[in-house]
Amino acid sequence: MQIVVNPSAELSIYRQIMRQIIEAIACENLKLEEKLPSHRDLSEQLVIAPLTVKKAYDELESLGYIETQRGRGTFVCSKLPKINRSVHSGQIEQSARNLLSLAYLGGVEFSDVVKILRDVDQELMGKTQHTREKA
Amino acid sequence: MTAVLEFVNVSRSYKRGVPVLDGVSFSVGQGEVVGLVGRNGAGKTTLINVAIGALHPERGSVRLFGLSPTAEPVAVKKRVGYVSEDQILPLFGTIGDIIVLHRQLFPMWDESMERDLLQRFDLPLRSRIASLSKGQARQVALLCAVCHRPELLILDEPAGGLDPAARREFLEASIRLLNREGTAILFSSHNMTDVERIANRVVVLNGARLQLDRPLDHIRDNICVAIIPRESAPDPGVIERTSGCLHVREVFNDWHAVVEGAPEAVSERLTFALGRNGIRCMSVPLEELFIELLGGDR
Repeated sequence: MQIVVNPSAELSIYRQIMRQIIEAIACENLKLEEKLPSHRDLSEQLVIAPLTVKKAYDELESLGYIETQRGRGTFVCSKLPKINRSVHSGQIEQSARNLLSLAYLGGVEFSDVVKILRDVDQELMGKTQHTREKA
Repeated sequence: MTAVLEFVNVSRSYKRGVPVLDGVSFSVGQGEVVGLVGRNGAGKTTLINVAIGALHPERGSVRLFGLSPTAEPVAVKKRVGYVSEDQILPLFGTIGDIIVLHRQLFPMWDESMERDLLQRFDLPLRSRIASLSKGQARQVALLCAVCHRPELLILDEPAGGLDPAARREFLEASIRLLNREGTAILFSSHNMTDVERIANRVVVLNGARLQLDRPLDHIRDNICVAIIPRESAPDPGVIERTSGCLHVREVFNDWHAVVEGAPEAVSERLTFALGRNGIRCMSVPLEELFIELLGGDR
């Protein structure tokens, strides 16, 4: 898993880390029960305060994505939290609205947006396509 | 958290009646990284000089590990590392000479850390100090400041004048020290990206006073900038009196207010207070916040 942070981005650094870890779990770049880098290693790798990494991990732990096992390290949970579907679909709808307004402003047609979505899906899920088809 | 460094009501002036520091209080706990920011002349360097015992506070007190840096300078200096932008290394001799000198001064000197940093910074022991580049000289200063394994590292604009790569190497070395030794760090900087990268708390000095002391996460999530059309508030006092408002300034035809709270909540609060719509609230990076908080009217 590669994490990249940009301190001057709109999202704070700990949220950038949270988002990327959740994304990595979602597209199975991070497998269930896989070990995450330690606070120390990740803070040195990204050149950020170790307390920032701790904050990101603590939040992810309270959301139920990862768990700390004393003396062993931090791992992706074996079962992921059930996402509240109604809240989630509301967010997706909002994102869709933003996406389409952006597209229409730029003169991009609906069919092209669908094509872009398909490409992005390919890119995100490419590595996991095989397992998905089997399931 | 035990305080490694504590300022209590510190005041200091160079000219009678013109305070450079006016009742500044905050503390740095173990393992914390505190970024000290403020405009030129806000009092950052004076505060740091008070911390290292180079200046007496006129009022108030400063304690490092519970000790006064002016009453017990030796006991304090053993446990502190200090690097500043205009640090003057002795101009005679070589890097090796300076390191030998420090080894003799500090019984706790860590030779493996010394070797490690010499290698990482690629510093040749035989180079004469007078011939070093600015970046190399700063690296030598950092090496001398950390190899006695201080519990507190005080950096006054440590990256000032360094190129981006040298700056990053400097930050990397500081983080590694923090991880290895649990060293607390107080650093002043004008580089907000660096502050966002390594600080977990930010202290803002403004006109000799402490204006803000908050965890960085809190600043990013819970302090926002509101842009209010001028005609919505003929009197900026109404904005200033809204709860959580830290600062209001005029920018072209708008008011820009820095307000504590998440953007949605602040937007609601201001819309209610002013009885007008059309207020935009957003979280901003630290650099923008610095300008909104400390910049003048435009």
